[in-house]
Amino acid sequence: MNITLKQFKENLLVYGANVHEWPEDIRQAGLKALETSSEFRALLAEEERFERVLTTRRYEEPSRDLAERIVSASQPKKKKVWPSVVGFFSELVWEFSLPKPALTAFSVSLIFVLILGFAIGFANLIGSVSTEGTQTDLQEFLYYEGEVL
Amino acid sequence: MDTDFSHLDDESLIQQVQQGSHEAFAAMVNRHSNRFYRIAYRLVFNKGDAEDMVQEAFLRLWARPQLWNPGKQAKFTTWFYKVVINLCLDLNKKKKPLDLPEDRELADRKPGQDALLGIHQEQALVDGFIKELPERQQLALNLCFYEGLSNKEAAEILGVKVKALQSLIMRAKTTLKEKVKRHLGGGSI
Repeated sequence: MNITLKQFKENLLVYGANVHEWPEDIRQAGLKALETSSEFRALLAEEERFERVLTTRRYEEPSRDLAERIVSASQPKKKKVWPSVVGFFSELVWEFSLPKPALTAFSVSLIFVLILGFAIGFANLIGSVSTEGTQTDLQEFLYYEGEVL
Repeated sequence: MDTDFSHLDDESLIQQVQQGSHEAFAAMVNRHSNRFYRIAYRLVFNKGDAEDMVQEAFLRLWARPQLWNPGKQAKFTTWFYKVVINLCLDLNKKKKPLDLPEDRELADRKPGQDALLGIHQEQALVDGFIKELPERQQLALNLCFYEGLSNKEAAEILGVKVKALQSLIMRAKTTLKEKVKRHLGGGSI
């Protein structure tokens, strides 16, 4: 099979200057044409120079950690686990293998401490309010007296 | 768990990803991120943007792996090229058109003296010429010439017939050749 100059030129554009990589059905015709004609060889040389210019195109390599970054960005974010009281106690029981009576005693004492704490705090609150009230009454009294005088 | 996925082809790997295997996804990223970065870089002309586009494409794959349908798409890479290319084209539409580099103006003013142009200027010129090509011609050139894909695969990615793809390459190269001759002088090619 023979190939014309026009066909050869088109094949150079489509398949590139490496004739050995052309599709099998046209490769032999291309190589044969190159052996026999200087016109074909000149066309090939021109295409090779053109491709060299094309390959001078700027290119920057990707960052080394690109793949790692993508994989880490795709990892599901861990939910923040808030410690629950029940969870804490069950972990405590499991960790120290506490027997149930011991756990009950510990819980009761903790509740007692909490109640006691609330009671003390509440009593202080009442005390401080009544002091404030006394001070206000005294100011009102003084002001009232001054105006009369 | 340390699973070896190297023996699996892309299609088997993506099926594992579809079943929720993050390790299979990581293997996929390690296997292909550089390849897809290359095409992204050729389209957006910027390292940071190209990396972002590749990351975005892979994250979408991880979020919705069912989008790859083995019945419709023969090869995973063919389908994923489309995903990356579409993201890059969308980004280019959002970005303002870039000004021509100074090197390009210099070459425009002084055709014929171009043997003196340095490699940096030549790179800028070639980039500029390629940017000026119609979008589909750019894609055809990038996929076939720079990525070395077969005409058949490139045609499939672009959704055109092989003949149409070949016509795109021919037009792209003919235009570029004329511009290179005009600006870099006949001696270059």
